[in-house]
Amino acid sequence: MKIDLSNPAWRQTLPPARSIAADAPVAACAFNRDGTTVAFALGDGQVRRLPADIKAAVPDAAAPLHKGVVLALVGDPAGDGFVSGGDDGRVLRIAADGSATELMALKGKWIEHLVAYRAGAVAASAGKSMFLLRDGEVREFGPHPSTVAGLDFSKDGSRVACAHYGGITVWSLSKEVALPPRRFAWQGSHVALRWSTDGKFIATGTQENDIHVWRVAQATDMRMQGYPAKVKSLSWTADARFLYTSSQPVFTAWPFSGKGPEGKPPLQFGEEGAGLLSVVAAHPTAEFVAGGYDSGELQLGDIKTRRSVVLKMADGSAITCLAWSPDGFKLAVGNERGDLLVVDLRR
Amino acid sequence: MAQVQVPVTVLTGYLGAGKTTLLNRILSEQHGKKYAVIVNEFGELGVDNDLVVNADEEIFEMNNGCICCTVRGDLIRIIEGLMKRKDKFDGILVETTGLADPGPVAQTFFTDDDVKARTRLDAIVTVVDAKHFLGQLEQGSEALEQVAFADVILLNKTDLVGADDLKKVEDKIHGINPYARVHKTEKSRIDLAAILDKGAFDLARILEFEPDFLTHGHDHDHEEEVKSLSITSDRPVDPDKFQKWMGALLQLRGGDIFRSKGILAIDGAPRRYVYQGVHMMMDSDWGSPWKEGDKRASKLVFIGRNLDGDNLKRGFEDCLK
Repeated sequence: MKIDLSNPAWRQTLPPARSIAADAPVAACAFNRDGTTVAFALGDGQVRRLPADIKAAVPDAAAPLHKGVVLALVGDPAGDGFVSGGDDGRVLRIAADGSATELMALKGKWIEHLVAYRAGAVAASAGKSMFLLRDGEVREFGPHPSTVAGLDFSKDGSRVACAHYGGITVWSLSKEVALPPRRFAWQGSHVALRWSTDGKFIATGTQENDIHVWRVAQATDMRMQGYPAKVKSLSWTADARFLYTSSQPVFTAWPFSGKGPEGKPPLQFGEEGAGLLSVVAAHPTAEFVAGGYDSGELQLGDIKTRRSVVLKMADGSAITCLAWSPDGFKLAVGNERGDLLVVDLRR
Repeated sequence: MAQVQVPVTVLTGYLGAGKTTLLNRILSEQHGKKYAVIVNEFGELGVDNDLVVNADEEIFEMNNGCICCTVRGDLIRIIEGLMKRKDKFDGILVETTGLADPGPVAQTFFTDDDVKARTRLDAIVTVVDAKHFLGQLEQGSEALEQVAFADVILLNKTDLVGADDLKKVEDKIHGINPYARVHKTEKSRIDLAAILDKGAFDLARILEFEPDFLTHGHDHDHEEEVKSLSITSDRPVDPDKFQKWMGALLQLRGGDIFRSKGILAIDGAPRRYVYQGVHMMMDSDWGSPWKEGDKRASKLVFIGRNLDGDNLKRGFEDCLK
């Protein structure tokens, strides 16, 4: 049971997959903690849950949980279900049986981003504030200079970084020692944020089609330019050696091992896809990466062999989200049209 | 995949001019259409509607060294979010606060590629308070700029002024921006078809329309600096020269040029070339084809402050074949 892109079978046939038409744009997708269920956040208020096993029977769609759009979704780090956020201002915990309980409600706000930390914490962004939800408690951090447009936990879960106009803010979450927030400044609007898997770097995508990366300890920063569009999807490899970025026609990885990427070109590899990558997701354990295009094409890349294979052909509907199962053998894919796809990479 | 671009109407107007009344009408009247409305204050609207979105007027400067390139990042995010809805809508209305410069809102629709792919700026609609407009002009530049930016003007509260005063207000508006369509209203009562999805930005009528410019007296109020002017020619335009000239002009003078629009007869081209700009940002496209018997003529319109008509005219003439 191994993913091998040099195997001819991988290059000639598409892997087995399940596809369901949901008829509402997909904003986010995620696997639950044990990888048995996958869920999709939909533009009609539904959180559609499917068994991760693509041969298992599909249950009927449940009633919408949110009024409006489900904008954000993560696997529940404190349970077997999911946590969702919507433009109705609510954060819901969805249990394994599909029942939902409200964790937070902010009238008139949108819950735009959710991130989870494995020890049971969830951070949500709503307007200019970040909210930490842990052990039945909600704590607010902010306000920031503008609406929070991206956030992520540090490697050890002790801090959360938030992107906004003029840079990023790093909050220490400790209740015992109240540390002031740290501000890392860079002019302009930062629209996506990912903290490196080793905790050393924080990367943002900017409105000006650049990437900005800060070294957290030294507070030094670097800027990578040359993208034809905003980089809204960033993904660090499990070993933190590379940062994958969207908005290129091929997989594009900045090297962060050794002295870092300064003065070096990014590593670009794989088949040129149709359009630009709209979402990238590094594999949770190995050297693979999944990339969804704004044309609907889906590719799987291997940085070791610098190869890629097509998992799904372009169909005109931009891929909006990707999620790997914890074991790295299944890939969930959502698009603008509302196709819910689960690909099984075991051959 | 070709996407349907949702028309966007930007609604401006001084405090108390009647914007909220108009929005309440749009949200509550039976007109068979569905509009998403982006407002600044939820509380002001009496209607509970899940297509009403609260915005914070979050303006930022583009990181490209151009001081005029201010845009509304919150609008970019909100429009992205609205596009994730299953239920689509017929249009989007963006309300600006009474004292806001309409520039950043309009520029947002020129700047962001995702927003451009999904929406098109249909018109800037300004609600003017007939009773207080002349006084507001004295208080600062906002009321003046809102009229200068407008494609469509609702001259509202006409029932609160006499015929003579109304005429004065009309003349003043005409002097600032003769290219806007003016609708006289009471209590913001208007057929929505007159203001929404009008394609006012598609400039079709610019060529047909030549306002008779009013000559003003000798007062030197600050609003007198804001004016509009047009340049026409029936000689074909060299597209490369024009791009260079217009690019340099907007770069240099974009801060003073609120609006620029035009229809060009490009040398040898089968279609009209149309463009429109807000401050330093400009967008252009091919318009309707020239038909047999059409008079192939070009026309540019500028609305702004301290416009040097002779200089602009010379600059454009250098772009002609």
